[in-house]
Amino acid sequence: MKRLQLQRWSSSALSSRVRTGSRLHRQIYYSGARFQSTTSNSLQFEDDQSLAGQQPTPPSTNSPFPQFTKHQLPSPPIQAARESAKLAALHARLYLPSRLPLETLARCLVDTSADPNFQFNNNSLSVLGHDLLTNYASEHLVCTYPRLPLTVIFAAMYAYAGPKTLHAMSREWGVEHAAVPGGEVDPGLLQFKRVAPGTNLKEARPLVGTTRPNEDQTTWRKSITSSVVYDNVFGDPELAAPPPAELSDNVYPTNDGINSEPPVTAEVASANFVRAVVGAIYLHAGRQAAKRFFEQHFLSRQLDISKMFNFSQPARDLARLCARENYEAPVAKIISETGRRSRSPVFVVGVFSGRDKLGEGAGASLVEARSRAAVAALKGWYLYSPLEVRVPSAMEEDGAAPWKPVYVDLGEVIV
Amino acid sequence: MFSRSVLAKAFAPPLEQVARPSLTATSTTFRACLHQSTTTTSATNPPTEPLSATVRAQSSIPAVQPTFQTSTTPVTRADVPADKQPIAPAFTTPLKVSQSLLSTLPQLTSQKPHYITAHLHDRPYLLTEGDDLRLPFLMPNVAPGDVLRFNRASLLGSRDFTLKGSPYLDERLFECRVRVLGVDSEPLRVKEKTKRRRRHVQQITSKHRYTLLRVMEVKAKSVEELQREGAIVEEEAKA
Amino acid sequence: MPVQGIRSVTSARNGVGAFILQCKRLDFHYCDWAGSSRGMVSFLKHQLNAFAKQNPQIEIRVSPRPHKHPVIKGHYINGREKAVCVRNLEPEQIFQKVNLLKQNSGEKNKRTKKPVTSINDSVRGIWSPYHGGLKSV
Repeated sequence: MKRLQLQRWSSSALSSRVRTGSRLHRQIYYSGARFQSTTSNSLQFEDDQSLAGQQPTPPSTNSPFPQFTKHQLPSPPIQAARESAKLAALHARLYLPSRLPLETLARCLVDTSADPNFQFNNNSLSVLGHDLLTNYASEHLVCTYPRLPLTVIFAAMYAYAGPKTLHAMSREWGVEHAAVPGGEVDPGLLQFKRVAPGTNLKEARPLVGTTRPNEDQTTWRKSITSSVVYDNVFGDPELAAPPPAELSDNVYPTNDGINSEPPVTAEVASANFVRAVVGAIYLHAGRQAAKRFFEQHFLSRQLDISKMFNFSQPARDLARLCARENYEAPVAKIISETGRRSRSPVFVVGVFSGRDKLGEGAGASLVEARSRAAVAALKGWYLYSPLEVRVPSAMEEDGAAPWKPVYVDLGEVIV
Repeated sequence: MFSRSVLAKAFAPPLEQVARPSLTATSTTFRACLHQSTTTTSATNPPTEPLSATVRAQSSIPAVQPTFQTSTTPVTRADVPADKQPIAPAFTTPLKVSQSLLSTLPQLTSQKPHYITAHLHDRPYLLTEGDDLRLPFLMPNVAPGDVLRFNRASLLGSRDFTLKGSPYLDERLFECRVRVLGVDSEPLRVKEKTKRRRRHVQQITSKHRYTLLRVMEVKAKSVEELQREGAIVEEEAKA
Repeated sequence: MPVQGIRSVTSARNGVGAFILQCKRLDFHYCDWAGSSRGMVSFLKHQLNAFAKQNPQIEIRVSPRPHKHPVIKGHYINGREKAVCVRNLEPEQIFQKVNLLKQNSGEKNKRTKKPVTSINDSVRGIWSPYHGGLKSV
């Protein structure tokens, strides 16, 4: 497999130049006002040079725009990154590769709500990081547990790469939050505009404009299959991307120095930061480093998938499953019991399919014990895991063994 | 364990760095680094030299004990009791695997997760992956972030199967790695001491420090891995 | 819908994959005039540079605190801080105190009796009185 030229197509995120033709540029609020380099000089590639050759970029010395002082900038200037002890400590604490410069890490710490300029906030990096994280997490889940029901996969994805987990991780990395974002703030602090205390988040952000059709019909049934198509990787409704017509209206927005971005919670901001770090590692140090970072920081966390199931009618599901897999219909039998006529009886019930015991459970009544036995049998089926797990992204390494197709089951039973 | 690794260095080229006696010499080799190669690669290398120790313990069935020769432990420190002396470190013969172990080991390795009863200074610790271990002493010459490998264990098991050592398992049958997290201390203890007929109470204070460890992996090696590393299948004499 | 997923959050196991040192910041306070800071000033002049270079993951702040005893404060990732007063100590002793703060986990000192704490389920399962060798009365 030929390796992709990383720098070639990632130059839009790395480049310091203002590009007039790109879509990113249309969203720039301070276009032309801040000619700061977002990357270190060592990372200027030939691709950048060729791109820059087409678009003449005026040097900042004779630019007609006024020079901004530190206090007028919405986020810390690039030069401040080299002087921040916090930032260097964070870089070393995470054992980030030396190819990832401090300036990029500083950029990862600037949220969209702090600096709406897409060349100075972490939006592009966090979009890339989110895609990488969800890709690695989903391939790990599907290859490790090929029979998981889709709802449980959504929940496990949320547990591995959801905003709550990322927020906890950024706390465990020792990232502190700036009280208010600004140009004079230490670039080692996470910068975002905070939500005012007492704001009702659900009222403040009604979900309108999702990708799902007929979203106003709240009483309609939402099938789990439709959430694969319309919802995001966690099974949540996803906001649709703005149509291109809106973007074109926004080409040169007037900059009054007023940040019009809505404030965000600390959870959202730190989740975006963690994603941006993953994206930055991918861009600067390559695919393998990003995957290793994912394995070391995300996969090493503990998650008990067997506690993520919530069955409503396990006995019925088990009967359907046995019918689907051409097993004999499950029969519940009492294995042992004690104190049937007493105040605290215990029954141990096993669910048998023919001569095979599928599961067993204990309970204070026969029905309870039977449903627990059915849950145990269903979990035993759904949590099957092959002995040697190999994910598709293992093929990206050099000299990888030929790919053998992994087993992925049909999924949960349909009742 | 330390004296064991020191011995291993003294006697034979060690298979893997078991514990690091020196802080500065290899301080970066075992850190979790993105831009450095992983440390576990050396474990998969086949032994360059055939190794030594007698076959200790390869039975998952307690009733049938394989032939077991008592290992000759070199007495290095006379003041240390015999059962706390380090195991002879130099391997001269490859690992011998009995037929019964060969047939039953796949059942153990295919059932996850595993637990291990690792011994450190003759104290057993029942460990699983991800456990926190606070040693009852301060381990010298380790820094936070170091990775140690526990090489002495008496039990290695899963839910239904257990590999028992007699008294210890061969260290080539499993991998148990721990990471040094730091040093913890206890609240100040004050002990009041009195002597008879003396109206004076002595206040003796003590504050011990302990090493914090985290179990990184507990792995039972499969038969294929053992054979790749040079294990020899022992022919059993049919009686 | 036959089965629903319960959302949860993965719990951290620092050291299993990546290792993050729990000490994130060390504050050094000294006084230029007072004699109890003599060792501290010498430590700051001669040894702090090497220490900072060896431990880049720790942010180091040095600030004067006139007419007070010298203090080293460690700030930890769990939000706690530990302070050590180093008045009249020699630079070597101060170095030991700095190392103590660096290696500490930041938790409150507790007396524990069990060496192993685990968040995993028991590997061999919990013993059940209803299985195996049942005796009928």
